[in-house]
Amino acid sequence: MMAATTTLIIGIVLGYMGQRSRMCFVGGIRDFVLVRDTYLLRGLIAFGLTAWFAFPLVGLLAGSRPLPPVGSDIVAVILAITGGLGVGYLSTLANGCPFRQHVLAAQGVTSSISYLAGFLVGAVIFHSWIANLLLRLLP
Amino acid sequence: MAFTSIVRGLMIGTREMTTPSPTRGLHVTAVPVGIVAGILAVTAGAFFDVRPPEAYGVCMACHARDVVNWTFNLLAGTHLEVAPASLVYPVLTPIGVVIGALLASRNNGEFRWQTPDSSWKTFIYGLLVMNFALIAGGCSIRLLLRTAAGETLGLIGFAGMIAGVILGTFWLRWRATR
Repeated sequence: MMAATTTLIIGIVLGYMGQRSRMCFVGGIRDFVLVRDTYLLRGLIAFGLTAWFAFPLVGLLAGSRPLPPVGSDIVAVILAITGGLGVGYLSTLANGCPFRQHVLAAQGVTSSISYLAGFLVGAVIFHSWIANLLLRLLP
Repeated sequence: MAFTSIVRGLMIGTREMTTPSPTRGLHVTAVPVGIVAGILAVTAGAFFDVRPPEAYGVCMACHARDVVNWTFNLLAGTHLEVAPASLVYPVLTPIGVVIGALLASRNNGEFRWQTPDSSWKTFIYGLLVMNFALIAGGCSIRLLLRTAAGETLGLIGFAGMIAGVILGTFWLRWRATR
């Protein structure tokens, strides 16, 4: 219950701020490559740096927890690269990261609403078929 | 000649797409959003039970997956996977973001129906982005969050994402200049 309420409140705060600022976690890199515009890129870097400073601080307060074991698992590395490439490439073509698409859908952009429909169907498809297929194909 | 005018058109398009119109409503820039998002994401995981897995405070793809699979499991009695943090009640970030953005656009007079792109195309994009995000273990936000938490696989995924965005941008530019 705690996690559900917290994330709902966090979502409302970020959604409100995200709508006012046009924040996008993919658009920053795109704008920089395309026109050397750093407005969104600065937001992305601010997010990364804040989290990077906050993790150790919070670890001091709450007790640090061990990170998941990092093996030399080549399959995991390949999956991470493939997934990352796909997310980056397709988000650029779709004109914004998933966060931006949620914001756009909420301000009346119907193509983003259908994006979200695809997003939700995608989750069911992934866990019904794709994940099992990957488990079977990969060693 | 044609090339420069097209690139300029693309530039103006991008600026209009991303840079805020400062004329009306509350004005927030991207940096404060990044800082607030970073603080909230880390504290949610540390103090408000949004874990395991680690670095799970904010993620549009995984949290949307949890919401839809949790609801699906409840209604259809299936056993689709959800993160351990969402076993009892799902994490509701996507719903919160939609509510927050709806409030913001309503309050500041920016809500209006529009269809800039083909719905089937964006449906497919959404479907594919979700699948790749679940393969990578996070959307663009959580990949960076995992990187900040010191996870090597998060860093690898984030590097892949940057490469993907650069490829996608070059593809868009190439298509626009043909």
